[in-house]
Amino acid sequence: MTARGRWSFILAALLPTLAIYAWVRLYPIGDVLYLSLHEWNIIAKVRPFVGLENFVELSTDPLFLEALRNTAIIAFGVLLVTIPLAMVLAALIHARTASRLSGFYETAIFLPHVVSLVPAAMAWKWIFDARLGPLNAILSVFGVQPKAWLFDPVLSILCIVVLCAWQALGFAVLIFLVGIKNLPVSLYEAAKLDGAGPVQSFFYVTVPLLKPITLYVSVVTLVAGFNVYGQAFVLASDAQGAPGNLVRVLVLDMLENAFRNYRVGYAAAEAVVLLVVVLVLTAIQFGALRERGRA
Amino acid sequence: MGNNDTSRLGAGPLGRRTVLALAATAFGMALGSAAAQAQTLTVWSGYPEMVPFYQRVGESLKGKYPGLQVKVEAIPLREHEKRLALALPSNSAADVIELANSTAQRYIEAGLIKTAPADAAAFVNNAAYFDPFIQKTAAVGGKVYGVPLFRGQGALFYNTDKFAKAGLAEPPKTLADYTEYAKKLTERNAQGVATVSGWSMRLSGGGAGIAEKFWINLFQNGGNLIEEQADGKWATTYASEAGRKTLRQYIDNVHVHKVVTPEMPADADAFQREQTAMFIRESWVIGDIAQKAPNLKFSTALLPRGTIVAPVFFYSPNEGDKARLAWDFAIAANSPENAVWLLDNVGWLPNRKDVDYSAVVAKKPAFKAFVNYPKDYAFFTLPAIAPVEEVLTRLAARLTKAFGDASLAGNDAGIDAVLKEAAAETDTILRRAGLLASK
Repeated sequence: MTARGRWSFILAALLPTLAIYAWVRLYPIGDVLYLSLHEWNIIAKVRPFVGLENFVELSTDPLFLEALRNTAIIAFGVLLVTIPLAMVLAALIHARTASRLSGFYETAIFLPHVVSLVPAAMAWKWIFDARLGPLNAILSVFGVQPKAWLFDPVLSILCIVVLCAWQALGFAVLIFLVGIKNLPVSLYEAAKLDGAGPVQSFFYVTVPLLKPITLYVSVVTLVAGFNVYGQAFVLASDAQGAPGNLVRVLVLDMLENAFRNYRVGYAAAEAVVLLVVVLVLTAIQFGALRERGRA
Repeated sequence: MGNNDTSRLGAGPLGRRTVLALAATAFGMALGSAAAQAQTLTVWSGYPEMVPFYQRVGESLKGKYPGLQVKVEAIPLREHEKRLALALPSNSAADVIELANSTAQRYIEAGLIKTAPADAAAFVNNAAYFDPFIQKTAAVGGKVYGVPLFRGQGALFYNTDKFAKAGLAEPPKTLADYTEYAKKLTERNAQGVATVSGWSMRLSGGGAGIAEKFWINLFQNGGNLIEEQADGKWATTYASEAGRKTLRQYIDNVHVHKVVTPEMPADADAFQREQTAMFIRESWVIGDIAQKAPNLKFSTALLPRGTIVAPVFFYSPNEGDKARLAWDFAIAANSPENAVWLLDNVGWLPNRKDVDYSAVVAKKPAFKAFVNYPKDYAFFTLPAIAPVEEVLTRLAARLTKAFGDASLAGNDAGIDAVLKEAAAETDTILRRAGLLASK
């Protein structure tokens, strides 16, 4: 077979997959970009071109700015909690590999990741309940006044960070654990000969060598953090007057603008902003962690 | 029977063609009969408590449609509105949809909801059946689009045991009384923290409900959120003395008198669990209490000036034969028997005025505040304009923040600033929709 024939065959073989990929992944992104420059109320057949008007309006929209701020706090909060904690837990679990309970440790950490979001969030909602929740009951033992966890604007965001981190931790630990298991044992032996203890080995051998894994986990965690919706919806939104502070996040704001305010173009502009933010942050992470990894 | 036998049959006196024709006819009749028997009507509802009512209406239509199956798909109201936003433009909505006229307006303007057929329109326009207000809201541009289903109408619900315990013999008469009553009704623990709210006000959560409830209180003070002007456009009117008075009462109740807090259990659930002494809500709560808290001692009362009326209608996205069953269903839902059953068993207020509801009211006196009111009792409704949801949702977000802001207590200038900023945002929304009246 000639080289051209081989390429033709490869293309023909890949074409159905590429076509499906383009249809379900690329076309929607392109359509969102297109919509963000138009005004559309989801019903009308006409979609007048408005240029950057939607983006200009977004820049002064207090609800959007609040959603962007909340989402960024949640995403970075989850990242800051998850990555170090997952790394430490993975190292601890790895150190107890020989233990009969190692399987239990791994399962216990990973379980929240596979639990369905809504029942998990409902359980956390009960934990954080100001009047009936066990968290306030435990804190009261230590003389701490009950907190309105799900109403206070700051605490309610903290609650979402805790829930998201609790869910993300299992996946991060699992990936870090795989990474640690593949690190060369000789480096730890050399460190031990040089007098390094377990803590020093962790900071000077494990952490630097895990940088590629850290890059992957942090990108996945950050992207998931920026797409937070279900957690905020269940934990900190209301059902007809139920108490709770509405923590406005970007996806929730988009849904409200698209399907409640019938402003699909405006919601698409929000989606574009989210896309740009995530792309820029991912690029920064790649730049920071990859370069240092090479050094 | 072998092949030869078949051959003999075909060669018999009827002839092969005749036999085939008869078989085809019989098959066609069987298909037709099966189709008639398997007629399905899909109803989309935003009120899950209405499911038994729809099943009952379906049963009442069995005489005309023997094989009728009514498939009710009921989900929470906000989700129901979202699915309609997706399904109506893609022509995939149910045969019958249930919607407030204010929300239906934009779909009607876009031609996605069809006009009612002549018999349904005549039924709605019959002055013996419905009040002019209901007839007016059922139509757009003089054409009838909806058949009335029920109306949401507010009144005060109060716990009579708690009132008696606080030495209160009568319900409050003025909005100022509400706060005085709430102070007496609030139950506190040893630290003075409220454990049972004196008056459950809608303070938190998402959605337009917060702004709607604010509007009800504003209305008692003589105000409105927006008002229609002579040119058919709308003016924002809540950045006013009435607006200040209303918002001040919310803030005083939360931060000064502490008769209610945003984190306290609220609304019907709290009332049924005796975690609040009084609150303003629609009549469906009566049916809900009967199911969830049958031993609760409560009563209802008129609001000081008047209340909101939010009519909900049946609409259909279909026309012609396809919609026939849908409209028959909508009309059947308004039969006197079904109207009485709706009030008695679900609690939403039917709109048929020629029906005798006295037996239900005698059995459940709490309905009195919803059906017996003085002539000067005033009503208002949500305006049927496309951006009404956005106006309410955005105002609700601002109000929630204001309710939680302790610095606004005793700070009229701060309250005015909140209202002024919110009103400017409402103006922007109305202007964008071409609905802002010139000052």
